[in-house]
Amino acid sequence: MEPTKTELVVVGGGPGGYAAAFYAADLGKQVILVEQESRLGGVCLNRGCIPSKALLHASKLIREARDSAHRGIHFGAPTIDLDTMRAWKESILQKLAQGISGLAKKRGVEVLTGRGYFEDSQTLRVETGGGQKFLRYDHAMVAVGSKSAMPKAFDLGNPRIMTSREALDLPEIPPDLLIVGGGYIGMELGTVYATLGSRVVVVEALGSILTGADPDLVRPVMRYAEKNFREVRLNTKVAKMATAGKQIKVSFEADGQTKDELYDRVLVSVGRVPNCDNLGLENTKVKRDDKGFIQTNSNQQTDDPKIFAIGDVCGGVLLAHKAAREARTAVNALTGASAAFDYLVPAVVFTDPELAWVGLTEIEAKERGVNVQVARFPWTASGRALTFDRTDGLTKLIIEPETERILGVGLCGHGAGELISEGVLAIEMGATAKDLALAIHPHPTLSETLMEAAEVFYGHATHTVSKRA
Amino acid sequence: MEIRLPQLGEGAESGAVANIFVKEGDTIQKDQPMIELESEKAVAAIPSPAAGKVTKIHVKQGDTVKVGQAILTVAEVGTVAAVADRGPAEPQAPPRPVSTATTPRQIPGIPIAAAPTVRKLAAELGIDLTRVAGSEPGGRITMADLRGYIQQLQQTATAAPVGARHAVPLQAPEDFAKWGAVSRQPLSRLRQVIARRMHESWTAIPHVTQFDEADITALNDLRKKHAEAYEKRGVRLTLTPLVLRALAGVLKKHPSLNASLDEAAQEIVLKEYIHVGIAVDTEHGLIVPVIRDVDKKDLLTLSKELEDLAEKARQRKFSGDDLKGHSFTISNQGGIGGGHFTPIINKPDVAILGLGRGALKPVVRGKTIEPRLLLPLALSYDHRVLDGANAARFIVDLVKAIEEFPEDQVKL
Repeated sequence: MEPTKTELVVVGGGPGGYAAAFYAADLGKQVILVEQESRLGGVCLNRGCIPSKALLHASKLIREARDSAHRGIHFGAPTIDLDTMRAWKESILQKLAQGISGLAKKRGVEVLTGRGYFEDSQTLRVETGGGQKFLRYDHAMVAVGSKSAMPKAFDLGNPRIMTSREALDLPEIPPDLLIVGGGYIGMELGTVYATLGSRVVVVEALGSILTGADPDLVRPVMRYAEKNFREVRLNTKVAKMATAGKQIKVSFEADGQTKDELYDRVLVSVGRVPNCDNLGLENTKVKRDDKGFIQTNSNQQTDDPKIFAIGDVCGGVLLAHKAAREARTAVNALTGASAAFDYLVPAVVFTDPELAWVGLTEIEAKERGVNVQVARFPWTASGRALTFDRTDGLTKLIIEPETERILGVGLCGHGAGELISEGVLAIEMGATAKDLALAIHPHPTLSETLMEAAEVFYGHATHTVSKRA
Repeated sequence: MEIRLPQLGEGAESGAVANIFVKEGDTIQKDQPMIELESEKAVAAIPSPAAGKVTKIHVKQGDTVKVGQAILTVAEVGTVAAVADRGPAEPQAPPRPVSTATTPRQIPGIPIAAAPTVRKLAAELGIDLTRVAGSEPGGRITMADLRGYIQQLQQTATAAPVGARHAVPLQAPEDFAKWGAVSRQPLSRLRQVIARRMHESWTAIPHVTQFDEADITALNDLRKKHAEAYEKRGVRLTLTPLVLRALAGVLKKHPSLNASLDEAAQEIVLKEYIHVGIAVDTEHGLIVPVIRDVDKKDLLTLSKELEDLAEKARQRKFSGDDLKGHSFTISNQGGIGGGHFTPIINKPDVAILGLGRGALKPVVRGKTIEPRLLLPLALSYDHRVLDGANAARFIVDLVKAIEEFPEDQVKL
């Protein structure tokens, strides 16, 4: 069969892939976007960022209602109708996916539904519903993303052992839910299920949940979990699981002791692996690292001059906004428009309270021997936080003392995910603590905590007493 | 709306305005050339990305303009697609004094203290920002700091722009005036481009030049016989299209000479098209426009295109694409004179054919000596890609193709 010729083929229609396809089309390239699922948007839209945030919003509503008695508002216990909740969530995804398809159409990006397989460095075979199609391209971009890792020892083929994908489908509200892995996916979904009524146990092999974030920022999240989950079990490993009737028997290991417990469901969130299998990459010159992620240079070029790779499949932090930036970098590189440059990737964990950070963390500064000064502003001093009874928050700035430049911003608290962008801008623009202190932040808002933290550095924050170090 | 200088390609960031094709009050169409720009890379017409009435022209002939700089203001614009994405309009502020500034240090994982627009521009220009002094608190580098640094670099470099890529710094030549009167002329941009390209090609490619001669007595007779018929169609039949036609056939048989070397991939890229660059002498210097699909065009078309090319070259009416995409190049000095010479390969080709002037020479044919018209041929090739045997086989076939040129290809 005569292959269809095109300038660019993007394999994978997630937030990296469709961003690349759209941008390339905007720059005048002829683009075909290949997606194996009927709906664009990838993990982010279909079983990641978006559905989890919808469910977290629903949980927040339940908590707000529950915690309003002292405000003089009394609600009855909520009735949860999972079918309606699922349909509501689905309607959001449907709307977003339609939006993306519409944007593709308007740009003249051809969307081909089917699984892509590299025959060689310049040919992609696509298995579509209407048979095989062959695409011959000038350049290809691999944006096939990642999926939840499922260790062999847990993979019993039992639907009660779930990954985030199944957990987001809300099959039921299990009375006892075990979450293996205290990373952001485990903690976010733990928050949802705990609020819906499950007794949640989180088990984490390391000594802390949400490793990577500074411990002082994690503390409020940990406190919330300790109060609302049945237990957060640190330094504990899951040795094995076995089906036990309608339950799962889980064997834990800690301090050389083993213990067996029964759970109605288990969510495994122990990391993610690239979707590189069965893609025909071995027929190209693309090289992968020892963890299976595709190796690229700073322009997202793989070892095959015709093939670029972006997003989760290249490793690093597995975040949609990182993928979207890599999409831009790659398209710029292949159109010769401009070169890659360094950028920050902010991180947000949508737990309750939220956790967000950007730039250098305190731990990293210590590890890399960078001399920094840390200015903290606790939310107990924030009038705005007090108005909605959530003073369990902290704003901190990591500052280079000689230049007073802001190198890192960390936030824990309600809305931290929205507040962090000011930190991103501050570091990206090379702002000093003085710049942040001098810019008027409106009262009463949570954003004031950033200004006040900068003032803490100079020893004259209004709403807290601090000495300049 | 303002029309700004779009991305020039090949990393070029600025150029001198050689010509302005519109005046205020004109109506300009999308893709109509607005100015001609002489950049380091090429002389090219810059098409307008939008249609409308020109209300103001921001540049004049000789100005140096940068990517993103405003060229025209146009009213009632059709489309903005091509300009929308391109670079910030940087205000022209004088560079700050560098002496009072501090050079920021790089902290692992954190971008240097400069706005993303500044860092992006630096990355595009290949400038290491750790060498640029930032004038603002915290050592923050502003656009003006970066511009000041670039100007510094340029001032250092203007003494020897041609030699910018030499490993050894150029020394000022001796004082020639000591020996008699001298005058100096600046190198034109085009001359600088030619100088750099030739130097690049000459130093990067191990050249070998293969000489031969083709007996064009018969071909010349053919040409004369049919010249009148071509004349009636408004075209002069010269030797070049005939050689071009013969060459196309031989290149098809020897695809390794119609190729490029991809050093990064360690591959030879064989081209399925035959696009031949024709070196044209102009008053400004050498320009190499491209004739496409030579193998698919008849002699009349080729002759016509060659004439158009010469005319366009004289008027400098080429756009960037007219000069790109060649797979082989011919340099014909026959119109001027001279015998064999050693042409320099036009990168990324792997070979170039030099033609000298056909001259009558005594040739032994059988047992007699006859005056025959001989055309000097010189084939320079990239010895990384081709060996002497490849080149010899090619030139033998080429001589044969020229000497046995079939009349049916000339006939109209």
